[in-house]
Amino acid sequence: MIKIIDEYLGRGEFSITVPPLDGALIPNELLEETEKSLIVDAPDCLAIMNGIPVVSSRSKVLEVDNGGKEVARFDAEISCITGLPNGGLAVGLIDGRIAIVHGPHNGKIIRPNEGAKCPTALHADSGNNLFVTHGSSTNNYNGWKKDLMEKNSSGSLWRLEIATGKQTMICGGLAFPYGIYYDDKSFIVAESWRSRLLRIFLDGSKPPEEVLGHLPCYVSRMAPAQEDGIWLTAFAPRSQLVEFVLRERRYCRLMMENIDPDFWVCPTLRSNKSFREPLQAGGVKQLGIMKPWAPARSYGLVIRLDSNFQPVGSLHSRADGSRHGITSCIEHNGRLLMAVKGDGMVASYPIDRIKKR
Amino acid sequence: MAVILQMKSITKEYKGVPVLKNVDFDLEEKEIHALVGENGAGKSTLTKILAGAVTPTRGEIILDGKSIKIDHPTDGVAHGIAMVFQETSLVPSLTVAQNLFLGKEKFYNRLRTIYIAAQQFLQSLNFSVNPSVTVARLGAAQKQMVEIARAVYYKARIIIFDEPTAPLTPEEKHHFFALLNRLRKAGVTIIFITHVLEEALQSADRITVLRDGEIVVTDNASNFTRDRIVQAMVGRQLSGGLYDVSAKGKQRRKAGRRVLSVQNLSMQNIVRNNSFSVFAGQITGIFGLVGSGRTETAKIIAGVVKRDLVHGGEVKFEGRSVRYKVPKPAVKDGIIYVTEDRKIEGFFETMSVARNIYIGAITAGLTKSFVVNMNEMHKLAEHWTKALNIKATDSNARVIELSGGNQQKVVIAKALVQRPKLIIFDEPTRGVDVGAITEIHQIINKLADDGLPIVVISSYLPEILYLSDRILVSRQGRIVEEFNAADATEDMIMYAAVH
Repeated sequence: MIKIIDEYLGRGEFSITVPPLDGALIPNELLEETEKSLIVDAPDCLAIMNGIPVVSSRSKVLEVDNGGKEVARFDAEISCITGLPNGGLAVGLIDGRIAIVHGPHNGKIIRPNEGAKCPTALHADSGNNLFVTHGSSTNNYNGWKKDLMEKNSSGSLWRLEIATGKQTMICGGLAFPYGIYYDDKSFIVAESWRSRLLRIFLDGSKPPEEVLGHLPCYVSRMAPAQEDGIWLTAFAPRSQLVEFVLRERRYCRLMMENIDPDFWVCPTLRSNKSFREPLQAGGVKQLGIMKPWAPARSYGLVIRLDSNFQPVGSLHSRADGSRHGITSCIEHNGRLLMAVKGDGMVASYPIDRIKKR
Repeated sequence: MAVILQMKSITKEYKGVPVLKNVDFDLEEKEIHALVGENGAGKSTLTKILAGAVTPTRGEIILDGKSIKIDHPTDGVAHGIAMVFQETSLVPSLTVAQNLFLGKEKFYNRLRTIYIAAQQFLQSLNFSVNPSVTVARLGAAQKQMVEIARAVYYKARIIIFDEPTAPLTPEEKHHFFALLNRLRKAGVTIIFITHVLEEALQSADRITVLRDGEIVVTDNASNFTRDRIVQAMVGRQLSGGLYDVSAKGKQRRKAGRRVLSVQNLSMQNIVRNNSFSVFAGQITGIFGLVGSGRTETAKIIAGVVKRDLVHGGEVKFEGRSVRYKVPKPAVKDGIIYVTEDRKIEGFFETMSVARNIYIGAITAGLTKSFVVNMNEMHKLAEHWTKALNIKATDSNARVIELSGGNQQKVVIAKALVQRPKLIIFDEPTRGVDVGAITEIHQIINKLADDGLPIVVISSYLPEILYLSDRILVSRQGRIVEEFNAADATEDMIMYAAVH
């Protein structure tokens, strides 16, 4: 009864609130200082292949440093990539296939199992196994907005044996797992729609446990930091408006049926592109200038976590910034490379300077 | 300048125990005289004797060269001596105007007339207080203003202020000292008791330091330094400065996990859409002017007051959404609020130290037996008086008999006995002497070192800068700025609090 009253009054667990960006997540403008290493259409996932940083862009894999030299091209869009310990690259495609290019398994294609059609992140171990997170069982990678608006939690973590193509599901029921990291004991999975990091034990000895939760953003991929800890990217901010819309199921359904996804009230990799978008004028602009504190639907955020997965620092591109929608990052040669998908570039920033700041 | 008042060989004993011992004190015409000293040094007793609130055991008071007797506050007023007490002596249920004219009413009083008179009088003092508002609805600073106005109205020649700036914001303090100067120019002599040594150094003409019921030194303020006062007060050199941030260095504690998340919290117009987090193993300092909603936010978290019924926001404690209607479930969950007003909300002053501490354990449901267990109570009291160095004759001593610093330690002991998971200290060193401040700071630092999430609300910038690992600034009911304590300066914090 109390729950019904709470729901009606919008209080308690039914309050529509989002966690504040404070503590280690206090906004700054460090991302605006990053260099543009490569300007490319929709850079999405970064990886190191044979010691060279590469990035996926639509259906191509490009080198980051060599003027964007093409490494591989596919007949479908790429959704994730990872370097293999024995050389070569594992590539997840938007239709669910996993392809291997270069290295000993060059040309190998692993077809998706039922319910595993949305590869979002890959991890390769030294035993010729690939670990894949699939964001959704019903939507493909580009349909992430729909998956969020449907409030799905049909994502899963799979193990793939490269040699045999055998696929085993390790964990299901995940709300759009978007990043994966192995910490010698277990897998840490970034569960995007629940804005948290989850520890998943490979042997299933324990149920998954939350290591970092209640984040003010939708988390995406992770990468190890050379010193202790990891980098975590977040591709969009949570906002009260979106949280409200997510509760209003009928509104959500009508919006999805009638409106172009670009103009839905939902997170996006880059907002403020069209006058038809939600949140206009006074909501985001003052005297014609974008307010840095505006409740924007897109944002740029990279979080540094310590070895206990607690935030210790962060790089931001605020509402008025130009580095929104970061989906992936990696450390390479003393630089932090970031795939800024919302603004079409691979940005880099010296690690030393991050430490100083 | 001419000496207008002399107190000669003033001695005051309670049950044979001397509180003041042969004190000789003089006051020059039109001077601002600061009285400083640790809690229990005898400052308040000395001034209360002058105001007629306390009768001396021995000694003589000479005003304008004539020996006078002040046995009652009305005698003090008759001689032009008024005292503004630390705990205001206003009647809460009466309006400001009624309080102002209390005791000087005419046979027939029209409310409208006294409101107009009060309005004019308050405006002449530059006080923006509505005369038709009941005193209970006023904040501490405004109550202070009414007290001062009343003293001026009574045409006092000597006004005594007992810790006048404790409830005031920095801006109000500025106004207050400007008022003191105006009063001095108008011929009024001021005595003010303070624990804030900078105020004494900056605003007083002369400073008297008391220790253990005796005057240690009286000298011109220009001849004093902060260190000299502290040394005279405590009789020893304190190791390092009290708020010496450089001693602490740039190293601050790193944040642990997020323990508390306050999201869009709202309560009427006092707390407005307030959001912030508190992390384990770190002291989060909250600075703000009076009325900035700091205390109210803390009280909502601890269940002392309620947030708005509709869209009042959310408080997540250890990942769980919590909404307390009363403090007890909050205490059981481990959220402890150490009040800013210890005398009203912190303890039962006529009860013993042991009972007060035991009440803390009872509230948290941590007592071993169903009925009051005296043995357990005394063991608990013994443990905490030792751990926090509470100076009392024994654990049966009544809290009212302790000095301000030790009273505050009892409040802290009462909090710590409840096995807290989050402690919110609201003005932890208000009305506490320098020696006890150091000890209370050590206690707070140790709690944070042990991994507890700590929130310290303070209006005193040096304290915020010294204690905090991260500093939040509150303005108009919400957190408006966050600083890393290692990089923050007083100017930066104050700018954020005002603009």
